[in-house]
Amino acid sequence: MLEAGPELDAFRQSPYPALANGKVRYVGQAIAACVAPTRAQAEDLAEQVGVDCSELPAVVDAVQAMAPDSARLFDTWPDNAFIIRTIGAGDQEAMKQAPVRLRRQFRMNRQATVSLETRGCVAYWDQRLDELLVYLSTQGGHVMRLGLAQALGLPENQIRVIAPDVGGGFGGKNRLLPEEIAVCAIALKRNHPVRWIEDRREHLLASVHCRDHHYDLTISAERDGTIIGIEGDVHIDAGAYALWPTGSFMEASMAAGNLPGPYRVRGLNVNTWTVATNKAPMGPYRGVARPGACFAIERLVDELALHLGMEPYDLRKLNLVSRAEMPYTTVSGMKLDTGDYHDALDTAARMIDRPAIRKQQRERRPGELRIGVGFAIYTEQSGHGVVEWSKRKSRVVPGYEAANVRMLPDGSVNVHVGTQNHGQGHETSFAQIAAHELGIDPALVKIRYGDTATTPFGFGTFASRSIVFAGGAVATTSRKLAQKIKAIGAHLLQADPSSVEIRDGHVVAGSASVPFRDIARAANIRQELLPVGMEPTLEASGTYEPGDSAGVFSYGTHAVVVSVDEDSGVVKILDYAVAEDCGTMINPMIVDGQVQGGIAQGIGTGLFEEIPFNADGQPLATTFADYIMPCATEVPTVRIAHSVTPALVTEYGVKGVGEGGAIAPPAALANAVADAFRDCKASFNETPLTPRRVWEAAQRARREAGALT
Amino acid sequence: MTKIRMTLNGAPVVREVEDRTSLADFLREECGLTATHLGCEHGACGACSVDVDGLLTRACLKFAVQCDGRTVTTLEGLNQDRVTEALRDAFHRAHALQCGFCTPGMLVTARDLLLRNPQPSEAEIRDALAGNICRCTGYAGIVHAIALAADELIRHPRSL
Amino acid sequence: MKPSPFTYRRATSVADAIVLLAVAPDETAAIAGGQSLGPLLNLRMTTAGTLIDLAAISELRESRDLGDAVFIGAGVTHAEIEDGKVPDPSHGFMRRAAAKIAYRAIRCHGTIGGSVAMADPAADWPCILLALNATARIAGPQGERRLAMDDLLVAAYETNLAAGEIILGFEIPKLDDTARAASSKINRKTGAFADSLAVAVRQGARSRVTLGAASIRARILPQTSAALAQGESLEALRPLVASDVAALLAAPDPYLQNLHATNVMRTLAEVLGA
Repeated sequence: MLEAGPELDAFRQSPYPALANGKVRYVGQAIAACVAPTRAQAEDLAEQVGVDCSELPAVVDAVQAMAPDSARLFDTWPDNAFIIRTIGAGDQEAMKQAPVRLRRQFRMNRQATVSLETRGCVAYWDQRLDELLVYLSTQGGHVMRLGLAQALGLPENQIRVIAPDVGGGFGGKNRLLPEEIAVCAIALKRNHPVRWIEDRREHLLASVHCRDHHYDLTISAERDGTIIGIEGDVHIDAGAYALWPTGSFMEASMAAGNLPGPYRVRGLNVNTWTVATNKAPMGPYRGVARPGACFAIERLVDELALHLGMEPYDLRKLNLVSRAEMPYTTVSGMKLDTGDYHDALDTAARMIDRPAIRKQQRERRPGELRIGVGFAIYTEQSGHGVVEWSKRKSRVVPGYEAANVRMLPDGSVNVHVGTQNHGQGHETSFAQIAAHELGIDPALVKIRYGDTATTPFGFGTFASRSIVFAGGAVATTSRKLAQKIKAIGAHLLQADPSSVEIRDGHVVAGSASVPFRDIARAANIRQELLPVGMEPTLEASGTYEPGDSAGVFSYGTHAVVVSVDEDSGVVKILDYAVAEDCGTMINPMIVDGQVQGGIAQGIGTGLFEEIPFNADGQPLATTFADYIMPCATEVPTVRIAHSVTPALVTEYGVKGVGEGGAIAPPAALANAVADAFRDCKASFNETPLTPRRVWEAAQRARREAGALT
Repeated sequence: MTKIRMTLNGAPVVREVEDRTSLADFLREECGLTATHLGCEHGACGACSVDVDGLLTRACLKFAVQCDGRTVTTLEGLNQDRVTEALRDAFHRAHALQCGFCTPGMLVTARDLLLRNPQPSEAEIRDALAGNICRCTGYAGIVHAIALAADELIRHPRSL
Repeated sequence: MKPSPFTYRRATSVADAIVLLAVAPDETAAIAGGQSLGPLLNLRMTTAGTLIDLAAISELRESRDLGDAVFIGAGVTHAEIEDGKVPDPSHGFMRRAAAKIAYRAIRCHGTIGGSVAMADPAADWPCILLALNATARIAGPQGERRLAMDDLLVAAYETNLAAGEIILGFEIPKLDDTARAASSKINRKTGAFADSLAVAVRQGARSRVTLGAASIRARILPQTSAALAQGESLEALRPLVASDVAALLAAPDPYLQNLHATNVMRTLAEVLGA
C-alpha cells in the first residue's frame, strides 16, 4: 500500500487499500470490484455481492473526534488526529493584553469538487510494447504514473498514462484514488481493456471531498481597530484516509498560515488538528484551505468593525498592508511580494458604489427585501517551488516545469509541456508565449500535453502554478531555440550573428532576411546548409523555476451586494464586482474566465453546496437533487477590474490566477448578509448560507437583541 | 434485446439494444456519437441534451427503445444547422467554454431556446440554462455568447 | 448508475395498457414522460420487471372543453400546457405554473398524469390540481372510475391507484370570470424541487388553498380555504394559515413553520390583490 501524506514522523499513516480490507471506514469506500462487459451488467453483479460486517461507532464530527472517549478509526493511533500542530509567531503577550478581544466560531462545511466530467480510467496491457497503457482523467499524468508504478510494483517505463482531454478537475483529479489502482491491477490480469467511469453518485459519495473546516478564533485589537493578533483552534475534518501523494495535510497549515490574510497582524497562535473521521478522504479543491481562512479572517474583520461601531471598509483600510511596506513578510512567514491592496479595496468599493447601497438601506421600508454589501480581500500564493514545498515536507516537490520546443522542417512548432490543461486554456496562453519568443504567429504553434510517452516530466496543473512554471519553461526554452534560429539565419544571410534579429517569422539582417521555413529546412533536412559544427535539428528543452521559489502573490477585493428575504432566508446576488491583480496578463480573456469561473465555485461554497452527514456517517447529498449546484440563474456576470503589478521573479511578471476567484466569495457573501442585518447584529458564520441557516441566525440575533433591551 | 429503428442525425439506423439502455448510452456506446456527454445520469446537469422529434431531451432519461420510430439529432447532426453554427462561432468569440464538457448540452439547449425565442432577454437566456451545469466558466461567457448569436441571426437571417 | 434489467413494452391504446399491466401488476411499472421515474430507475431506487410505456397512447394525449370544465389528458406534457397547446380552465394560471416546473427539457417530456401518479410531495401538479378541485379519470381492469384529487393522493409516492390502473386525465372545473389563482414556490435554485409550494384559488365559496412539500402529500389548508371563501382579509387569514401549517408539519419546526406560512401568505396576497 502507498504511503501518503507529508514525510513527517508526526503524520500518522492511514494505509488505504484499493479495496477495503478488514475495516470499512466510510460510506462509499470500495469493497469489491465487479467486471462485466457493460457497466449495467457490472452493477447487476454488484447487487449480488453480500458484505458481512459488524457495525462500529461512527466518528462524524472533527471536534468531537478529538475527545478522549471518542471511537477511533485506526487502532494503532492514540487518538483520531493525522497530525496536531501549533503555529505560533509574533507578539504573544500583546494579544493577551489586548483591550479588545472578540471570539467567534466559523464552519465551512464539506463539499465535493464536482468536475462536470467525473473521474474515469481505461487500462490495458499492450502486449507489443509490454507496457500498461492507462487513459486517466487526471491533472498530472506523470505524477500519477509514479503512484501507479509503486502501487502495482511495475517499473515506471512500463506504464504510459494518457489524458487527452480532461473535463475539469479543480483539485479533485490531482490525487491517486483506489478505483484507479484497482482498474489497473485488474487490467494486469485480463487480456482486454478494463474501464471504469465514475458516476455522479460515486463522485459525490467517494471522490475527493473538500473544505470541512472548523474555526474557534479570537481576534485581538486596539480600540481604534488596529488588529493585534489571532488565536485559537482550527480543526480540519480530513476524512478516513490520506490520499496519495500528499493527503490533506496542507489544509490545516495553509488555513492557519493564511489567517493573517493581507493585514498587518502582529501575533498568531493557532492550534491545528487534522482529524480522521468516517467520511470520504479529503483532497485539494480550488483555493485549498484559503477559502476557509479567508472566510474566518474576513468575517472576523467585519465582526470587529461591528463591535467597534466602525465601517468594515475603514477597518480594512486601517490594517491593510500598504504598497510602501512591500515586500511584507506576514507573521506566519509568507512574503507578500508586490501589489497595492489599498487600491484594490478602493476600486472594488467604487465599482459597487457603497454610498448608494447605504442610501438604499436607509430608505428601505418594512416588508421590503433587506439589502447588504460585503467585501472580502484575498491573497493567492502561486509559483511557489522548492523552498515552499520542501518546507511543507511534500512527498513530491513540484519545484519546476519542463518544456520541449521543436520547430519542424516547414517552420511549424510543437511545444510539449508537463502540465495538464483541463480547461485553463494552455493551448492558447502557451502558444502566445512561444509565438512571442519565436516571433511567429501563434497559429503556427501547437501545444501538446497529457501523454507521459511524449511530454517531458512535469507535475501537472494545480496550485495556480501553470502560467508561472510551464509558461516560464515555454518562454525560456523558446528563447533558447530562438538563439539557434538566429545563428542559423545569420549563417544563411552571411551576417554577423550579433547583428541579426527575429521579426515576424524571419531572421533579419539589415535589408536582407531569411524566413524560418528555410532555416527549419536547413536544420532538419538539409544539414549541408548549416554552419560547420552546428548540431542539426531545431529543438530545445529546459526546465524553469522562478528566481524566488517562496511564491508570488496575486490578490484582489471582492464586493457583493445581496438581497435577503428575511421571511424565507433566501439570499440573492444583485451585483458582484472584483478588483484584482495577477501581475502581467498573458491573455486577459482567459484571466477573466478564471476569475468568473472561480467566483461561480465560490458562490457554490458560500450559498449552495454541501454534503451533510447524519450521526451514523451516512452522507445525505449523493445526487444533484440534494447537492445543489449553482447555474446561470444563480451566478451573475461579475464586473472585473484589473490592475497590473508585475511579479519581480517570474517570466514577464506573471502570477497565478486559477484559484483566486474561488477564495473570497464565501466571505464576501457572508459579510453582505451580515451587513443586511446590521441593525440586529446577526452573525453568519457557517457555509453554505442556506435559507434555514440565514433565517435561524437572524432569529437568534433578534432574540438576543430583544433580551438585551 | 429489442430491434429499434430511428432516424439519427438524418440517416436511418437499425440496431438491437438491451431494453434498459439509455438513449445516451446507445448514442455513445453503440453509435460512437460521443458529443452527448453524461454528467449526472439523473436529468439534472443537461450535458446529455439532444433533440428528439424537435423536443429538447435529456438523453439519460430516455431509453433507446422509447426512441424507436423517432428522429434523434445530436450535436454531431447539427453541423449544417445555421443556429448551431452561429452559436458555435459566438461560443468561440465569447470564451464560453473552458473544459468543454458541458458545451454540447449548452449548444443544444441554446439552439432550442433560439428556435422558440429568437430575441431572448438576458433573464430568458439564464432561465433557459437553469438546468445546465457548467463547472468552469461561471456562465458569463455562455450567456453572452447566446445573446451574440441571437443578434447575428437577426442581423443576417440567411447568411449562414 | 444504470437500471436493473427490464422488459419494455409500448402500449398502443388504453385497453392495451390495461392488458399489459394486468399480466404481473406487482412487477410492472407504467412510464409516461419518465422524467421522475428515469432517475429512480437509473439509481436503482426502484425496479420493474416490465416497463409499460404510455407515451404513444393517443387517447392520453387528448384534451377537450367540457363546457364548465376542461379535460386534460394524462399524457399532456408540462411544455404543452406552458405553450398553451391545450384548453385552459384557469385564465392562464396553469400555463404560468407549468413554466416554473423544473427545466424546459424536463417539461418537454414530463406529463401531468405522470406527475400525479408519481405523487412526489414536492411536485407541482398534485398541489395545483388539488387547489383547482380537479377530478382524475382512472381506467383499470374493472373499468373506469373517477376520483377527486384529495382522494387520489395518499402519501409520498403513494396514491389510491390500484395495481393495473392508469390515470386517463383530469377534469378541471373552469375558474369563474372573477376568480384569481396564484402559486408561489420557494426553492434553492431555479428549477429545483420546491422547499415550499403554495397555491391559492379565490372564487367565492369554491376558494381553496393548498400546500405542497410540507408533509407527505399536497394538502388543502382547511381553515385558510374556508376563511378565504368567506372573504376574510389577508390579516385575518394570517393566524389561520399558521394554524393550518402547524397541523401539517410532522414535528414543530420554527423555520419550516415560518417558511410555509410566509409562502402561503404570498399567494394569498396575490389572489386578494393586496
